[in-house]
Amino acid sequence: MRLSISHDTTYRYDSQVRTSIQYLRLTPHDSERQRVLNWQLKLPRPVRAQLDPYGNILHVLTMDEPHESILIGASGQVEIDVLCESEHESQSALPFLRFTHLTEADPALREFAQLHCKKRRDRSALIDLMHGLHGHISYLTGSTAVETSAAEAFAGQQGVCQDHAHAFLACARSLGIPARYASGYLYTDSDDHLASHAWAEAWLEGAWYSFDVTNCLTKPERHLKLAIGRDYLDACPVRGMRRGGGTEQMHAHVEVEVAPMLQVQQQ
Amino acid sequence: MLSRTASDLYWMSRYLERAENLARMLDVSYSLSLMPQDGRGDGLEELAMPLLITGTLEEYMARHGQLHGERMLYFFALDAENPASIYSCLGAARSNAHGVRGRITADMWENINATWLEIRGIAEQGLGRYGISRFCEWVKERSHLFHGATSGTIMRGDPYRFIRLGTFIERADNTLRLLDARYEMLGEDIDEVDGRPARSYYQWSALLRALSSFEAFAEIYRGSPGTRKVSELLLLRPDIPRSLRACVDELHLMLASLPGDNGRPAQRLAAELEARLRYTSIDEVLDEGLHAWLTDLILLVRDLGHAIHSSYLEVV
Amino acid sequence: MDRKYYDEMYDAQGKCRPHYLEFARWLAAIPPEQLAQRRREADLLFHRAGITFTLYGDEQGTERLIPFDTIPRSIPASEWRMVERGCIQRVQALNMFLADLYHEQRIIKAGIIPAEQVLANEGYQIAMQGLNLHRDLYAHIAGVDLVRDGDGSYYVLEDNLRTPSGVSYMLEDRKMMMRLFPELFAAQRIAPINHYPNLLLETLKTSSPLDNPNVVVLTPGRFNSAYFEHAFLSREMGVELVEGADLFVRDDKVYMRTTAGAKQVDVIYRRLDDDFLDPLAFNPDSMLGVPGLLSAYRSGHVVLANAIGTGVADDKSTYPYVTEMIRFYLDEEPILKNVPTWQCSKPADLSHVLANLGELVVKETQGSGGYGMLVGPAASKAEIEDFRARLIAKPEAYIAQPTLCLSTCPTFVETGIAPRHIDLRPFVLSGREVRLVPGGLTRVALREGSLVVNSSQGGGTKDTWVVEDLKNAE
Repeated sequence: MRLSISHDTTYRYDSQVRTSIQYLRLTPHDSERQRVLNWQLKLPRPVRAQLDPYGNILHVLTMDEPHESILIGASGQVEIDVLCESEHESQSALPFLRFTHLTEADPALREFAQLHCKKRRDRSALIDLMHGLHGHISYLTGSTAVETSAAEAFAGQQGVCQDHAHAFLACARSLGIPARYASGYLYTDSDDHLASHAWAEAWLEGAWYSFDVTNCLTKPERHLKLAIGRDYLDACPVRGMRRGGGTEQMHAHVEVEVAPMLQVQQQ
Repeated sequence: MLSRTASDLYWMSRYLERAENLARMLDVSYSLSLMPQDGRGDGLEELAMPLLITGTLEEYMARHGQLHGERMLYFFALDAENPASIYSCLGAARSNAHGVRGRITADMWENINATWLEIRGIAEQGLGRYGISRFCEWVKERSHLFHGATSGTIMRGDPYRFIRLGTFIERADNTLRLLDARYEMLGEDIDEVDGRPARSYYQWSALLRALSSFEAFAEIYRGSPGTRKVSELLLLRPDIPRSLRACVDELHLMLASLPGDNGRPAQRLAAELEARLRYTSIDEVLDEGLHAWLTDLILLVRDLGHAIHSSYLEVV
Repeated sequence: MDRKYYDEMYDAQGKCRPHYLEFARWLAAIPPEQLAQRRREADLLFHRAGITFTLYGDEQGTERLIPFDTIPRSIPASEWRMVERGCIQRVQALNMFLADLYHEQRIIKAGIIPAEQVLANEGYQIAMQGLNLHRDLYAHIAGVDLVRDGDGSYYVLEDNLRTPSGVSYMLEDRKMMMRLFPELFAAQRIAPINHYPNLLLETLKTSSPLDNPNVVVLTPGRFNSAYFEHAFLSREMGVELVEGADLFVRDDKVYMRTTAGAKQVDVIYRRLDDDFLDPLAFNPDSMLGVPGLLSAYRSGHVVLANAIGTGVADDKSTYPYVTEMIRFYLDEEPILKNVPTWQCSKPADLSHVLANLGELVVKETQGSGGYGMLVGPAASKAEIEDFRARLIAKPEAYIAQPTLCLSTCPTFVETGIAPRHIDLRPFVLSGREVRLVPGGLTRVALREGSLVVNSSQGGGTKDTWVVEDLKNAE
């Protein structure tokens, strides 16, 4: 499946921002499952790309002239191999066993993981866990904030895709299974969910498998991956800081569609 | 030099200067409040003057509800809850000095630290027991000691320049405000009432004493103080250490000797101000109206302070 | 319990050891009132100079004086040479371990250290994976904590590879002794240490590939417990002392804000933990760090000393493997001994520890400063039971060691002079070569019988002498 993405983000500030810096993870890279056909990033000034600690493509945008808004545009086309269910990697998965502040497993989460997986540590166990979390934390836009931890969302029984992913990571890690956060785009027919999306991946039998708690999907056929990390903070598309500016208004517009000029691959 | 270091040095000396000026203000008001008030009340008005000048009267009233001698004195001098009190200023100066302990000499640091420790002792025993005049004298003395230690021990480099900038910006502002406040209170000059020197005589004398300029005034003018002479002395004479002109001369000199190009806005403002004072006569000032002129200058000095800030102390 | 301690000054027969003879003669000759007067002088000087530290958990941020004891800790030069070689060997191996761990991971492949032990460790930083550092150096500044057991042999208690502190006390203690008792230094040859700031600056400069890099010291600020030391070292080295807000990142380079505009920074001697360095990469709530610092670091435009991610090597759960590291990387036998250690993450070790809590010292693997620690023989029943519960709840967070008979040194106490337990922290600098100044910081537990020497727990310091051996003294 070929996905076409257009993602514009505008930040506007009440007053002038003196300086700002943003970590941008808005550029996908080739992998077993996805092939980037073309991709453009429109930024207020030229920025050199680098790889971040997790191998994501990172742009660090520094602005030291006073400004009142920032426009960031990402667009391109990516070919998704819908049959590919897992991805291999040479780096050790062990660092993804560690909890982070956002993915700390409190007794309730540990108990929940035990309850759903018992002694099993395989894919079917994690699928059960995924369904369990989907049922426990109902999707409600605006019910949590970016700094909400897995334990808080779990206790509140409401959240967004970020909270679903965090709760899954906390549970999987508590079972001794390395797990990581993935951020990216999701193609969806309905208008229910944002096209910007987050899900989890777990390390099973030498490969990373996807678990999308929000949509109860284990086959990532509609998912375009931008970045991975231990939690939201590592992998989120934009993380920034500024001096001055007062309050910020962020407006994001994302369109994900199946590319119109569908060609049957000759092979 | 690091902008933060410069900022700490600048504010350290500004707060010390402010503490000294507050003490001078308090001293004057306290002594005037003890004088016969010509049927103008019980001296409380006079005691409220320092609060009025520093813009803290409103906060005082919000907290205490009425003018009360002892409470006003405590609020102004020793109240740790009042960020504009002498106590708080000395605390802020000490905190700034702590941040740049490596950039000032041991003599300077020990002076500021000892001042802070002592005022905490004074606060414990209370102003009443310590004595108000004695307290004001003590604050001035500590400030003199600091200036002595500074001029006697620190290298004449950029740190020295930022310390001087802080002192003279604060002092210029203070001289302008004190003069403005006294003038507002007095209005037109009257030399004598029933053969006695008028109240204005005491007021102007007290102001001159507060600014340690009484002797200089007597030597230069040889007469009783009035608006014109006092204003000329405190605004335009370069040889009076606390005059506006002397402060601006020093600011101009210090800014001109700082390295780098990023300070041009501040340097230009100081040069313009210096030229303006050099080529202004007291007649022109009075023609414009003293209050209007002072208000204008207070704003210009404030602008210069802002320019120093944005040019040096918070460079992007 | 009856324990035999090794006393630094007197042997088992009560005879003064040769390297203390000169001092003993002096101590016997000086009139007590003169000594007392000079000790008061020392207190006053320390107070005036503001040589203080701030206690954590103290709401007022009260600054306290670290008690200074005027009886020095003395080490014969021949013995010091062994300690010095041992420290160099150890720090070399630890740096090689870090370089290996963040690249090929040969030591894991060789089966010497379990992968999960280090890769899932709190101190392991993914950001360092595959990153090449100048000279392959990670811990440019290391502090090795040494103690002596009953027979006088040296043991490494722990390695400090993150931001070891205390070197300013080492230097100030010496300054004070030379000022108060110059005659002691005239009477014998005591190795000088005051060139440490020079060595440190040289080490920091050689950590960068540039010829004359711009070096700064990064402090968490004036409320940090070791602020005095940060200010002291920057002053002694003649470099800027900066806080996070003084620095900013533009296009992957680090600059400091100065009164003459932005100035690029090449080497940061940071006294700030990894987690606080860059709020965009680590702890987002950190107000102490520099946004974007990690990207600049990974682009190779700035050196951090110490490097990020050294914590995995000085973690107490990694400690048991250090002797094997020395054999693996250097093909040498360890010169300094490790204290036998039970890793509570291993079930067999845990049950041994739980059965012997009253005899053992239990420490948090991530703890430091003497916090979160149980000294079995000195603990109450309630404290032991409290630790038992903590161990059972989170065994992987603890290790245990036998209670060592830390050596003692005569020390001034209220009732006169009495033996008190001490340790030793030499500071090891790794640059073009690995170097130490002779001695280190001696910390002394001032409470009778106490084995906790940390300043935050009522410890004091002593000047540390390395003295030429007196061949014919016997």
